[in-house]
Amino acid sequence: MRVSRTPGGRRRAKGIAAVGLVALIASVLAGCGSGRTGEGGDGDGLIVGTTDKIFSLDPAAAYDNGSLVAETQIYQYLLNFAPGDPTPKPDAAEKCEFTTPTVYTCTLQAGLKFANGNPLTANSVKFSFDRMLGINDPNGPASLLGNLEKTDVVDERTVAFTLKVANDQTFPAILPTQAGPIVDERVFPADKVMADEDVVRAKGYSGPYTITSYDKNKLVEYQAYPEYRGILGTPKTPRISAKYYATTDNLKLDLQSGAIDAGYRSLTPTDIEGLRASDKVKVLDGPGGELRYIVFNMNTMPGGTPEQKLAVRKAFASSLDRTALARDVYKDTYVPAYSSVPQGIPGAAEPFKDIYGAGPNKDAAAKFLADAGVATPVELNLQYNPDHYGSSSAEEYKAIKTQLEGTGLFRVNLQSTEWVSYQRERARDAYPLYQFGWFPDFPDPDNYLSPFFGPNNFLQSHFEDPGITAQLVGEATQPDKDRRLQQIQQVQRDLAQNFLPIVPLLSGKQIGVAGKDVQGMEQTLDLSFKFRYTVLSK
Amino acid sequence: MARYLGVRLLLIPVTAWILVTAVFFMMRVIGDPIEAALGGRLPPDQIEQRREAAGLNRPILAQYWEYLSGLARGDFGQTQDHRMVADIIATRGAATLELVCWALLVAFAIGVPLGRYAATHRDSASDAALRLFAILAYAAPVFFVGLLLKLLFAVRLGWLPVSGRASADVELRLQHVSPKTNIMVVDAILYGDNAYLLDVLKHAVLPAIALGLLTAGVFLRLVRINLIQTLRSDYVDAARARGLSARVVTGRHAVRNAMIPIVTVMGMYIAMMLGGAVLTEMTFEWKGLGFELAEYLKARDFMAVQGIVAFIALVVAVMSFVVDALVALIDPRVRF
Repeated sequence: MRVSRTPGGRRRAKGIAAVGLVALIASVLAGCGSGRTGEGGDGDGLIVGTTDKIFSLDPAAAYDNGSLVAETQIYQYLLNFAPGDPTPKPDAAEKCEFTTPTVYTCTLQAGLKFANGNPLTANSVKFSFDRMLGINDPNGPASLLGNLEKTDVVDERTVAFTLKVANDQTFPAILPTQAGPIVDERVFPADKVMADEDVVRAKGYSGPYTITSYDKNKLVEYQAYPEYRGILGTPKTPRISAKYYATTDNLKLDLQSGAIDAGYRSLTPTDIEGLRASDKVKVLDGPGGELRYIVFNMNTMPGGTPEQKLAVRKAFASSLDRTALARDVYKDTYVPAYSSVPQGIPGAAEPFKDIYGAGPNKDAAAKFLADAGVATPVELNLQYNPDHYGSSSAEEYKAIKTQLEGTGLFRVNLQSTEWVSYQRERARDAYPLYQFGWFPDFPDPDNYLSPFFGPNNFLQSHFEDPGITAQLVGEATQPDKDRRLQQIQQVQRDLAQNFLPIVPLLSGKQIGVAGKDVQGMEQTLDLSFKFRYTVLSK
Repeated sequence: MARYLGVRLLLIPVTAWILVTAVFFMMRVIGDPIEAALGGRLPPDQIEQRREAAGLNRPILAQYWEYLSGLARGDFGQTQDHRMVADIIATRGAATLELVCWALLVAFAIGVPLGRYAATHRDSASDAALRLFAILAYAAPVFFVGLLLKLLFAVRLGWLPVSGRASADVELRLQHVSPKTNIMVVDAILYGDNAYLLDVLKHAVLPAIALGLLTAGVFLRLVRINLIQTLRSDYVDAARARGLSARVVTGRHAVRNAMIPIVTVMGMYIAMMLGGAVLTEMTFEWKGLGFELAEYLKARDFMAVQGIVAFIALVVAVMSFVVDALVALIDPRVRF
């Protein structure tokens, strides 16, 4: 039927259009509540929000927190961490042990299958580790396998790792890291990284979940894999979706409005403080492994002699109020750190508290400087980075400046530099002392020691001491667990007493937020830093 | 006409090349992606190995030539996280297009009637208020307006969602049935479920208003100025002399003519909104091209940023050509 072209007809058409528009707006607003539609059949599912990003689903190219969360759900490892336990235990393996000082042998469970139906055998394990080292992707975690000489298939269920350094006690802790997922050799290419969509399609993984829908860094749906037989157990919730946020305020608002069920990483201290006050969600704290600290460049830091430099470092350590930093800047989402090994990690000690005190001690600081003949106030050019360690870095370092200058012993020239330049300049010895941070690769104390204080360490602060190096090699290769823990505590004490190449400041807690009706999150916020969906339910 | 259009057609690749080249070299000034990702975790020799593996230690001109050759073949390259840039452009570009369409709708719905009202009530208090509104709408930062909208309509009133293009369950359902266009409202219609359509629509309201207000301010002022000029013209006086009502004269004759410049600038505004959508997309978690661009810029992913910017440059260049062609069609004077 043709529409009337008369003015009256046009007016009628306009009227109908106006009514239609009003009806559309009304219907939009009517259905509104800001939550979910309720049409999605989500009764058996949970939605977890995060600001992390997945870099890659292929383990050969994934060495970041966002990818780790996804990998934790879909891949199986020879060894893994049970919720609440930072000791590696068999996952795909039935058992793993040192069969000689340089050979670590694992026996697989019988009858394991990937989600695509292919068998998971010793060949799969060898392929996975050979592939990781062979590809050596610029963004991958192959460097974690630096001590792996070769991987051999002994029989269909047995695989033997030959190590370059004997009795490497950190090797079992490396197997559950991002270097250790077992992939299907029938679907993964041996020499190149697989695109995420292909990983999802090929289902060459055997973890507790499979991915049933994948829109990268937007929305990912996981469905329980019924054939999974490993340490993470049967998923309590069969369907979990991960929603990715760019900004923490949207994550926070969606948590508050109930649009999502849980949130994990990374809310700002202010967001967390706000959520703690909300009666709709619960904020859960787990032990933290992140370390925030200050590095001294041993060559360029203030002080005319090595003794004077040491005295400056000791006076610096004696002048800080870490508790105030944690409380005022980070709203207690961080805790004071008195060693490079954070509390909760096996073997952690608190030598800085024992030697330099829990709070600032101006008299002790002044004595260190006076005894070494250092003139005061000492000029400190302190660098921090405003974009890599969170938005509160500026506030943190202003507080440190205030604390140091409050003693009257230091005059602090505070400077900040954007991350890439910061990295470049600090390696060129441009910064006498500067901010740094560390997320561990695995919950072993050595991961907080050797990378910092061993030869050719990544700090490039010109610290190296033969005695400390010998101690580090000793603890890393000590098979006796108790003796190893003693050695680890001793090296922490020696470092704090005699060297202080770094001064630890704060250790980060893991924070998760969940709706009041969501259970299980507290079980997974542990020292393994693995966020396991299997324990979540409502 | 043909010569005029031919010259402008040639300007498309030149404009795109200049922009692509500028971005290529600027990206290399702001920093090394390997350092950005892994500096502070690995010793320098391993960082160097990884730079070598990623091809970043080759001469910059060799990298540039390789990149341009790829673009000429239609290969936008691969991101560091192993995604094809062309795929990102296809899927996320559709999301941005959807947002821009909604925003244009808002801009028209607000800008044109208010501009008409201001013109017909020239120099009144309401005209002054509307002109002030237009300036504020144009000047207010999108993220600030977005934040206010979120706080009011999503947090305080709870009428609309905080962010995203749809609720998670709706997005998943649409993903499971394989989105055909990646324009969510179209996919929801094709899927044939009104509840999903409603969900998608209500997610579009706040981002569309935030981005649309900016352009609405421009449209308001354009309509007002053009309409005032048109209402002074002889043919309008003639229409009035024929006894037509003021409403008919304005609505049927004057507004149509006043809209011509708006239609011609609209092409450029669509291109500008593609860029302006970055902040809106970030504010509302609208996972479009601007959102991806901002994220990859943060990660210093050379290929991704170059590819997306190359695409936007191409769109801007094409839009510029279309506008020139439209103007030439409407106004023959510009061809000579």
